[in-house]
Amino acid sequence: MKFLIAEDELDLQQSIVTYLERDANVCEVASNYDEALQKVELYDYDVIILDINLVTGSGLDILRVIKKSKLRAGVIIISANNSLDNKLEGLDLGADDYLTKPFHLAELNSRIKAVLRRGKYGGDETIEFNEIKIDTKSRTAFITNIAINLTRKEYDLLLFFITNQDRVLSKEIIAEHLWGDDSDLVDNFDFIYVHINNLRKKMTKESAKYIKTAYGSGYKFQNH
Amino acid sequence: MFSTKARIENTLKRNAQPFSLSPVIEVVEIQGLKEEFLKDTLIYDPSQKEDEVFRELSTFEKINNKYYRITVRNLVVESKDILIAIVVSYFVIILIAFVFLYYFNSKGNRKLWSPFFKNLEAMKGFSIKSNTPIVLMDSNILEFQELNNEILILTKKVSSDYQNLKQFTEDLSHEMQTPLAIMQAKIENIINEKKLSEAQYLQFSSLQKDILRLKQLNKRLTLLTKIENNQFANINKIDLTKIIRKTVDNFKELFSAEIHFSETEKVFVLMDPYLAEVLCTNLISNAVKHSGTSKSVSITCSNDCLIIKNSGTIAIDKPENLFHRFYRESKSNHSMGLGLAIVKKICELYQFNITYKFQKNSHMFTVLFKSAKV
Repeated sequence: MKFLIAEDELDLQQSIVTYLERDANVCEVASNYDEALQKVELYDYDVIILDINLVTGSGLDILRVIKKSKLRAGVIIISANNSLDNKLEGLDLGADDYLTKPFHLAELNSRIKAVLRRGKYGGDETIEFNEIKIDTKSRTAFITNIAINLTRKEYDLLLFFITNQDRVLSKEIIAEHLWGDDSDLVDNFDFIYVHINNLRKKMTKESAKYIKTAYGSGYKFQNH
Repeated sequence: MFSTKARIENTLKRNAQPFSLSPVIEVVEIQGLKEEFLKDTLIYDPSQKEDEVFRELSTFEKINNKYYRITVRNLVVESKDILIAIVVSYFVIILIAFVFLYYFNSKGNRKLWSPFFKNLEAMKGFSIKSNTPIVLMDSNILEFQELNNEILILTKKVSSDYQNLKQFTEDLSHEMQTPLAIMQAKIENIINEKKLSEAQYLQFSSLQKDILRLKQLNKRLTLLTKIENNQFANINKIDLTKIIRKTVDNFKELFSAEIHFSETEKVFVLMDPYLAEVLCTNLISNAVKHSGTSKSVSITCSNDCLIIKNSGTIAIDKPENLFHRFYRESKSNHSMGLGLAIVKKICELYQFNITYKFQKNSHMFTVLFKSAKV
């Protein structure tokens, strides 16, 4: 996949690149408005990650250009501004998703995957991993074509794991993904363990042992 | 009287005939001299139809070898009458003076003080939150003008300080997001790239937790500022029962708490949908967090009030501080102490009445809505 990361904070930009390139993606970067505009007009991307506050201009203007020239690329806006208006404006202009800084890279990654599923493969909204198949439209998971009965949270968890394969996911990241704002209400994330354990049991029953423990308290979805 | 008597004597000496002008002057020829005397006498005055007091001087003189009795009388004005006359006239004069003084004074004062009172009203109407500067009435009185200048300087300063502070809070929370994002991203990459020891991982994991806390703190402070700035103008008819049901379901997955929700009837309120969600989440999470070991929370929703109860063993020390920012009853730092402050702010915004009570071993929050019966 080919991504463009238009972000003027170089540290953040490079971190995103590092994370995404682990999946053998190609990442190009733009550090200011003009560079981003130029690249958007010249090349094709699968997903464009767009910061609203680019030093020399607004990411929303680039989004307008993208939508005007009917580019196929999915757009995810990242912004330090968590005002609802900004978010609505971005989504109205045709952005596929909106993330407020600070966000977890795993979260960004799973949003990118979701955008890719919805966009490029149009209609075919399934994810396959070895014997696991997930139909994101009906929100059901299959292991060797047998549907497994997952709760809402377990399903979200599985999807999150599969989209972030081979990465260590700490309880904090998982909690924030599953519960968003409510996740800060508890000071220990042991409840995560319950959900993960249930998911694991259900998968192990079908002999799909991919969820590994990492560093004692983190998790990793790994192909043996 | 004596001078009148002397004049009469002189006239008589010049051989004039004795004459009378009763009752004021009487000259009568008599046979012999007597002692002169002075007395008061009453004489009937036909024109006034009453007896009048006269002062009478009678002298006996021998003029041109004739004896005369000369009586001179003077009307004595009664002292009572004079007193009344004086008092009345004084009163009238004072009254007139008073009326005039009052009229001119009050008119003058009103004119003099009108800028002062107008400005006082303007000051009462002045809001630190509005951007419009205070408009004061000019006056040609030096002191008032000085006062005006000082008020203008003061309000300008207060307004600009307030704006700066507001801007500072907004900027701060805004500018904090990017460094936090960088920190978070770097931690994630480190966890994934390097081979770490378990202890190192735990450190990073706890850093992530701290970042999460900062993030939430930031978010809540921003929310408080936004409510204060009245930036939630999107008022809808909200089905509160639906929101509570959703929140309760979410919480049941997060906590092992027992949450009973009894909805007797649907509750509709007029408010911003986002704030409605925040209101319910904060109240319920507060109840869950402080429900102790028994973890039982009950939510009752009726026509225009929402009651959230959670079990507890002791009453809160300082209930009056409950809705203050960063007030924590327990020493643990599970919470930031902003949740209820936000609840209070939302209630103030929509004029809902929120009260707290501790009874029968349970903490009870009651929100009285201005229900939207449409």
